[in-house]
Amino acid sequence: MAAASAAAWLAESAGAEAARAGADPERVNPSATLGVIYADERPTENVPLYRLEPQSDELFVSAFDLARIFRATRYWNPSARKLSLRIENRSYLFTIDTRVVVVDDAPVLLRVPARFANGSLMVPLEFVSDVLPESAFGRVELDERRLVLTIGSPRYNITALAFEEVDGDSRAVLELAEELLYHVDAETPGLLRLKIYGGRLNTLLVNATPGAGLFNRVRAEQTEHDAYLFFDVRRSAERFRVEFLGAGEGPDARRRLVIHLERGELPEIPEVEFAGRRMTEILDEARRVRRGEIVKVAIDPGHGGIDKGKVGPSGLLEKDVNLDLALMLGELLAGEYGMEVMLTRTRDELVPLTRRAEIANEWGADVFISIHCNGWYHADAGGFETFFLSPAQSEEDKRLAMEENASLRFEGIASDDLDDLGFILWDMAQNEFISESSRLAELIQRELAQVLEIRNRGVKQAGMIVLKGCRMPAVLVETAFLSNPAEERLLASGEFRAGVVRGIAEAVDRYRGRIARVQPRGKE
Amino acid sequence: MIETNLGRKIVVVVLVVAAVVAGAYLVRRWIERAGERPRPVQIVSEETRSVTLYFANREADGFEAETREIPVREGLESEVEAVMAALIEGPRGRDGISAIPPGTALLQVFWSEETQTLYLNFNRTIVSAHPGGSAGEYYTLGTIIRTIGANFPQARNLQLLVDGHQVETLAGHYAIDRPIEIMKWR
Repeated sequence: MAAASAAAWLAESAGAEAARAGADPERVNPSATLGVIYADERPTENVPLYRLEPQSDELFVSAFDLARIFRATRYWNPSARKLSLRIENRSYLFTIDTRVVVVDDAPVLLRVPARFANGSLMVPLEFVSDVLPESAFGRVELDERRLVLTIGSPRYNITALAFEEVDGDSRAVLELAEELLYHVDAETPGLLRLKIYGGRLNTLLVNATPGAGLFNRVRAEQTEHDAYLFFDVRRSAERFRVEFLGAGEGPDARRRLVIHLERGELPEIPEVEFAGRRMTEILDEARRVRRGEIVKVAIDPGHGGIDKGKVGPSGLLEKDVNLDLALMLGELLAGEYGMEVMLTRTRDELVPLTRRAEIANEWGADVFISIHCNGWYHADAGGFETFFLSPAQSEEDKRLAMEENASLRFEGIASDDLDDLGFILWDMAQNEFISESSRLAELIQRELAQVLEIRNRGVKQAGMIVLKGCRMPAVLVETAFLSNPAEERLLASGEFRAGVVRGIAEAVDRYRGRIARVQPRGKE
Repeated sequence: MIETNLGRKIVVVVLVVAAVVAGAYLVRRWIERAGERPRPVQIVSEETRSVTLYFANREADGFEAETREIPVREGLESEVEAVMAALIEGPRGRDGISAIPPGTALLQVFWSEETQTLYLNFNRTIVSAHPGGSAGEYYTLGTIIRTIGANFPQARNLQLLVDGHQVETLAGHYAIDRPIEIMKWR
């Protein structure tokens, strides 16, 4: 393929994409960026945030990004429009257009409802700042002003805070990992300000500590160098005293900073109301869009960037062959067949496997085709094969889905309905398209057999991770074996590549025709 | 004529006697040597178990089963280690080929009775030395899963770990981030 024509097609494709983005009411552009810092080995990343409420500045993050950030498992119930995130041992159940998030069994009310946009459930950032830290205790810190999210614990030297009241003496006890300098002032009535030089603390952990005795509550702030604690104290507190206690040596040493408050008069302060109530919102009707015609094709060139894929005996790289085949196929489908085409990558870069399906979902693709080259330990193996997903659901998945259904029961949905409200693992979104995917795979295999003169290895079903999250018919084509010197030469040749893309394009066209006859255009 | 025949007979007899003496000497030396090396003697005396190992065929379109006698070990984990060591060592027959990257080592085996899940922790080589390609990856997983399935029916699930961590895939195709149901894997 001429590089110039590919570039022209890509530019055109990008332009058309921008135009569509403006026209598509469901497509929302990001309005801010959240920086995510991980304490583990993961690199810092930027995640798009969206404004979805016309009357509010509330920011939303997609459930896809949230799941990746917190290594969550997603379960999706399309008919009830519910999504459950399982983060560590807790489950968070969201319903589209509903303000309630059910944390395990307890409902918590958010300021704004979860929404659906760009092919994903969108979660208000308030969930990350307020709900999540309460649950996954002391693990998550969101700086709402700077929009920076810190996951995991940095090295804190202020490790714990507890309030206690002994014989009328109210104390705040801070556990320190090392000896630190501090300064206390009480210039503002009702407020005791403690600055700890070089202190590092988990603000969420501190802020979540309930007050006792003369301490109403505490708020912590972490600056670049120092830690601040603002103690809200009762008016009856008359005097304070701070002492530093050190005991022991080495790693077993205990260092504590204790603030004593002495009592005077005692006015009562009312308790803060708990912002949670039972879910009463009525669930929307299931909304499943069926399209009459296949026009949007997502093409996924396998591997890329540092993931070279298979390397042929003479050095041909799978990632390069895949990308070139994808560009050729895109050009052919867009040009000759009049379809809309989107590639999950258009250059040599690493796109995470689960992200690829998400790109296709966000775009609203009608079919997803992943293009690969095969590889084997021995030069003998050869041929082409097409895969669709094998919907293996493990026992664990089933058990978790049962638990999610139990959460639904909590919300007062009649138990008779529960049988119809089966949760599916979001990553198994492909399950409902399995039979369509197998038809597409059959067509591709049949058309490739017409144009290729290598061995036909048939249609296969397997747990290909890239297909799992696709909410559309999805297949993976293994074009030929790079480990086979003869087939490596074929993969390097323009003629063979042209045959591959012609075969796939013909199959997609036949698939489109078949669908169009079954479901006339425009029918929902 | 008779005399010549007799002469030949004598020659044959002498040769046979010489061969027997030499053979006896060699057998004795072999026995002596075997006595010096205690290992083979011990293996013979150990109780063994017949296990089935699965390898791939050369065309990457099927499995080749081989049976081995391996010493019986105490405990499931040790048994799994022994079977996996034989699998990693590779096939002895002509038809099978190993689909496990060279240099791969099984670091730990852990059995969870509660979840009936077997954890196999491999070194990084199983990923870094993997030649790539979905067929290559399929049979790396398939030979391990089938071999475990054939010899350890009590294991319902298998979780593969790399350097102690769960990984998404070995080479970019097949999901192994969760426990695999051994009997349902395909």
